[in-house]
Parts: sequence; C-alpha cells; structure tokens
Amino acid sequence: MRIRLQRDIDRLKKQVVSLATLVEERFRLAIRAVECRDADIARKVILGDAEIDQKEVDIEEECLKILALHQPVADHLRFIISVLKLNNDLERIGDLAVNIAQKAEVVASKLDLPIPFDYVTMSQRAGEMLEESLNSLVNLDLHLAYRVCAQDDEVDFMKSAMQLQFAEEIRKAKGEHIESLIHLFLISRHLERIADHATNIAEDVIYMITGEIHRHKGFEYDRSEE
Amino acid sequence: MGTKPTFFWRFYPTSLLIVLLSLITMFWYVSRILAEQFTERAVNELVSEAHMAQELVGDRFSAQNAPEIDAILKNLGRHLSSRITVALQTGVILGDSQLDLAHMDQFFDRPEIKEAFSGKTGMATRKSLTMNATVLFVAIPVQNQGNTIGVVRAASPEISFDFFQWTRVPLFWILLFGLPALLSFYWSRKLARSLHQYQTAAEMLTHSDLEHRLNERDTAEFEALTDAMNTMSAEVHSRIAAILRQRNELEAVLSGMLESVMVVDIEERIVRLNKSAERLFRTSLDKVKGKTIQEAIRHTELHRFVEDTLACGDPLEGDIMIIGPSDVFLQARGSTLRDTRGNVLGALIVLNDVTRLKTLENIRRDFVANVSHELKTPITSIKGFLETLREGAWEDRENAERFMDIMLKHTNRLDAIIDDLLSLSRIERDAERGEVLLDVGSVRDVLELVVKEAKEKAKDKDMTVDFKAPDELVARINPSLLEQALMNLVENSIKYSDSGKTISISADRGPDEIIICVKDQGYGISQEHLSRIFERFYRVDKARDRKIGGTGLGLAIVKHIVHAHGGRIGVESSPGKGSTFSIFLPAGLGSAHQTLRK
Repeated sequence: MRIRLQRDIDRLKKQVVSLATLVEERFRLAIRAVECRDADIARKVILGDAEIDQKEVDIEEECLKILALHQPVADHLRFIISVLKLNNDLERIGDLAVNIAQKAEVVASKLDLPIPFDYVTMSQRAGEMLEESLNSLVNLDLHLAYRVCAQDDEVDFMKSAMQLQFAEEIRKAKGEHIESLIHLFLISRHLERIADHATNIAEDVIYMITGEIHRHKGFEYDRSEE
Repeated sequence: MGTKPTFFWRFYPTSLLIVLLSLITMFWYVSRILAEQFTERAVNELVSEAHMAQELVGDRFSAQNAPEIDAILKNLGRHLSSRITVALQTGVILGDSQLDLAHMDQFFDRPEIKEAFSGKTGMATRKSLTMNATVLFVAIPVQNQGNTIGVVRAASPEISFDFFQWTRVPLFWILLFGLPALLSFYWSRKLARSLHQYQTAAEMLTHSDLEHRLNERDTAEFEALTDAMNTMSAEVHSRIAAILRQRNELEAVLSGMLESVMVVDIEERIVRLNKSAERLFRTSLDKVKGKTIQEAIRHTELHRFVEDTLACGDPLEGDIMIIGPSDVFLQARGSTLRDTRGNVLGALIVLNDVTRLKTLENIRRDFVANVSHELKTPITSIKGFLETLREGAWEDRENAERFMDIMLKHTNRLDAIIDDLLSLSRIERDAERGEVLLDVGSVRDVLELVVKEAKEKAKDKDMTVDFKAPDELVARINPSLLEQALMNLVENSIKYSDSGKTISISADRGPDEIIICVKDQGYGISQEHLSRIFERFYRVDKARDRKIGGTGLGLAIVKHIVHAHGGRIGVESSPGKGSTFSIFLPAGLGSAHQTLRK
C-alpha cells in the first residue's frame, strides 16, 4: 500500500512538473508574441490553452484519487494539498498567457506604435519569478521559494509606475492608438498577475516543505532572506 | 564472522579430544590385559609351589607327624616368598611356613579350602589380616587312593599390575596432554591460516585489488585451490581491464560527440548525459542523475519525444524546438534500449543542434525574398512608366519629363544596388583569396577625410559632426576600403536621425586593437534586429527604410570590409536613443611598426 502511494505520488509529481513546463513555455511564447509583434506565435499560444486545461483537470482527478484511495498523512498529505492549490495557479498563468497572446494579436498589426513602457524588463522579471518558483517546486528548494516571495513587491511597484505612464500616454494619444494603448496596459497588468501567481506557487512550496502557511506575511520576507 | 566460532576453535578442541580419548582407551585396555596375565602367572607359581610342598611332605601326611611337617615347612619358608599351609580334612592344621599354628582359627571356612576339599584346585583373592595386604590364595587337594585327605595352600601377596600408578607422575600428564595439545594446536592453526589466506585473496578480489596472488602450496588440494583462485583472479583482472577500457573509449566517444546524447530508463529517469547534452541543457549529470526528465529538463517537446520513443519501441525521428531566451532547434533521434530478452530498459535520445542551419536557412530565404523585392520594385516602376510613355504619354511633355525623372531615379537606384553588389562580391572574393591590399597607414588620415565628407553631407539636415581621435593611430589598412566602410556608417547615421542631432566619430587605441566608433542620436534599432542588420538586404522597418532609400547592402559591405581587415564589428542600440557602431581593427602590426620606429 505504502509503495503504491509512493508510486502514485511520483506520477503526480511528474504530471505537475510537466504542466508547469508547458505553462512556462506558453508564457515565454506569449511574451515573445508581444515583443516581436508576431500574430502567428500569439495564435499558437491561444490554441494551446485546451491542452493546459486538460492537464489541470487530470492532475486534480489524480489528487482526488490519491486522497480517496490512500488517505495520505503528514508530508504526503501536504504534498497533495499543495499540488491541488498550485495546480490552480498554473492553470491561471496559462490563461493569462493566452490573454497576453490575444492582446499581442491585436497589437501585432500596429507596427508604428512603440510599446510605451519597459516591457522587456517587466516581462523578464515576471519570467524569472515564474522560473524560480517552478525551480523551487521541482527541487523543493525552500531558500529559492522565499526569494520568489520577496521579489513580488518589485513587479507590483513596476506596474504602479507604469500605470502613471500609461495615463499620460493615453491622454496624449490620438484616437486610433487609444485602443492599442489599453491593450498594452492590460498586458502589464497580466504580467503583474502572473508574478502574483508565481508567488502563490512559491508559498505553496513553502507549505509543502515546512507545513507552515506563509501567505500574508509580506513583512517577514526580508527577515527570512537574512 | 561475528558470533560464529572460528575454524581454529572448532577444529582444535575436537582433534585434541579425539587424540586424548583414543590414548586413554588404549592405556586402559593394555593395562587390563597385562593385569590378567600377571594374575595367571602368579596362580601358576603358587600351584607349583603347593605341589612342591606336597611332595616334600609325602607319606608323612598324618596328624602324628604334625611337628615334623611344620618344621619342614618352616624350613621351606625361608626360601620361598609365598606362605604354605598344610592341613588335614579332619580339621587339623599340620603346619605353616610362616606363622604359628595357634593363630589360624578360620582356616577351614575359607572358600579355597572348601573347594580343595571337594577335590578341585581352589583359588581366592582377599585382604588378609595376617599378611596385611591383598593376598592370592591357591589350595590343592592331597589325595590318597582317590580320597581327599588333606589340603596344601599357597598364599602370596598379589603383585597387582597397577598401570595407573603412572598417573601420579607429572611428566605423564605433561606428555599425555601437552604433546597432543601442542601438535594439534600447531596443525589447526596452520590450516586456519591457509584458509584465512584464501579469504583475504577473495576479499582483495572484491575490493578490486586485482594484483594480489596466492602462494599456498602445502598439499595437493591447497595447490589446486590456489591455482584455481589465481587463474580466476587473473581472469577477472583481464575482464575488468577490458570493461574499463571499453568504458573509457565509450566515454571519450560520447563526450567528444557534437551531438547531445541522453539515456533515460523506463521510468523516464535520466541515466546519463554526455558533455554536449550538459551544455545544451545547462546542467550537469551529477545534478540530474536519477531524476525524471520532467524534473530535470523542462522542455515539453522533449518530454513528449521521450514518451513517444518509450511507447513506440521503434527508432523515432523528430524536430524539437526548445523555447528559451534564445530558441534552439534540435533534430532528435530516439531508440529504445533492450536487454537480452528484448524487454525495454529505457531510451537513447540523440539530439543534433540545427539552430545554426535553421538560422542560415532563414537568412537565405529572406535574402532571396528581399533581393527579388529590391530589384523588382524599380523594374516594375520603370516598366510601368515606359509603357505609359509608349502609349502616348510622351506627347504630354510636362508629364513625360516627370515620368522620365522617376525612371531615372529608379534606374539610379538599380545602378546603386548593382554597384554595391559588385563591390560586395569583389571585397568578398579578394578577402577570400587574401588579395585585399593592406598597408601600414594612418587611421587618423582616413578618419579626417571621412569627417570632412560627413560634415558636407550633414549640412542638409543641419546636423553636427564631432570628431575625437589621438594623433598617432596606425594600423594595417586599405585606406579606400576603410573610408568606404566608415562613410556607409556615417551615411546611415545621417539617414536615420532627425535634423539637428549630433554624430560623433571617435577613435581610440585599446590594448591590442584600434576602436573606431560612430555614434548617433537617431531612431535606434530594437533588440531583436541587432543580430541580423549586417545581413544583405535586411530591413529593420520595411516601409520606412525604402522611403529613406539606400540599397540595403551598406552594412553588409561594412562588415565584409572590416573582416577583410581581420577585425570585427559591433553595435549597441536602444530605440529612440540612438546607435553606436564600433569597428575593432587589430593593432598588432601597428604596434610592431611603432616599436620598429623606436
């Protein structure tokens, strides 16, 4: 019984990591679609969402199956619970990637409109956070998970700064550009949301390892870093 | 071994016990036989002595002759060690060789006497009070005409054969126990030691100390065993050496391969990666060994390929695109690994990095598309105007002149493109054959020429040209080519800047190269184009570029000229802020020249 539980959990872990990989790749493609104004890449991301959804459902079913069949305890239970939660976050990131790709498809035709915010830096930061949170999940790296949590504020701050910038740009903009600018602004919001979900994943990883619920403890991040 | 007894302690006490038991049994048996023989001889002696006494007494055998008989016996007693007693059946003791007659009361109750009275030879052993020892008695009947009339008894202290009296001597014990103990100790230990040697040899073998050889040749069996062990160890040695050699060869082949090789087991756990694969996935085998491929290498298409390979069982081929900061295109070949019975053990994945090929293919495709476009546009335009003129427009003088002006402009453009193409191919050809003439010359002179020309051209757009360079700047250059390259850069800077901006041309001497920079405050080039702008006919912004003009070959020519000088070219740019093109020329020969002048 014990061995079968371990085997099921191993398989579950494989599924989760595979979903995480898929989501990370979709995110990167979506970013690139914006960067290169490439509608083809954007469409690829949009069409691929069904696969992510299917994987999410599979993982949830697997979790429920393990819970019902094995009634796991202690760290196994924590693992299942965390997986259930971060499964959600991963799927949401996949959705946000699709949202970004949809905006990218619209913006792709407007070649003469420069992206008015520091898109590359922001997407890189969000991408790094996502990558690090997934690394902390794969390697069960507590230190890395804490670091991801500490980075969240940075992206939030970037988004707030951009909000002001956008307001100004939209005020200046001529009629046809306003729509595109709104799309671009939404992309920055999506990036910020993705960073939030990456933070959630890192928090779930912390719970998985320590059993301690780490949400809403922002002020402690700095201390744990020391 | 732990709690188990050692061979020595099992063997030594047993052998000692066997030796002692057999020794004691033997001694006991021998002593028994000897004791019997001694008694028999003693009895015979007594019988013959009794007969002698009977002969001496002879006819005087009657109660009246008792004193005489007693005297004879006493006489005899002086010579014999045994005691002789003569008695009548009627209960009268006639004489005794040692004792007075008065002391013998129970004589007739003795069993040997009773037996002798019944006509047989009587015999008995008992403790005699009178002689104070264990005494052997023999009585013979004295017969007269068939009737027993008396008895002659001979008695002597029993000479017992008491072998065990030896046990009272310490030396006996020392010999009895000590010698066997010592000998069996010695042999047991020798045997145990021999066995121990085999154990050591076997242990050495398992610890892969393969040079160890046994040398134990005491007996035929040991010799055979030793030979067998030595042969085995030599055999194992040679096989392990062969395996090691093969493994090292394989390792060398694998790590020397340009292709990335990855082996996974049936559970998709990574078994090995070669050096190239470690580089490709930016990881190391130590870190990922035993982890599933999903955990170790996060690329969906690769996961899928591994899954397919394991599931399908036949060799598989496919293209994999790895999405990352920069995309990598891989050609993958997968095949399953099977054991001798055909069960799938895992999969072998060989990945070939075709990113470069793919990029080259893209460049070629874009080139063909672009070159057709660049040539086709003016031709179409010229053709269209020619046809219009031919159909009568030439009669409308005003329009005809305008048309011809446009046609001339397009022809000039075609001419320029073809000129550029020709000079590009010439530079390329010369550089390939090493025919580009390079002479030691002053870079500053070239730069001054360029600056003068640049100022002239910048006037139209009201731009200023800064110039800064050290006085003495020498390198091996082809002045006219270098001037062409720099002019191309300067023209680009002017073209892609708004009016009133500044272009700065500077040169400096690095540790082993000369750096020439052309910096503008123009529109800039965004990141994704930077790696491709030196390609022929590559356009950053297709609409704007054509409006501005230019052949699309300028930067390609610059690149080739710089390469012909053995240098390299770099560019930094940020959109909206301007670009900096830097040419790095090797200064090695220049400095050699300078040292010559010193």
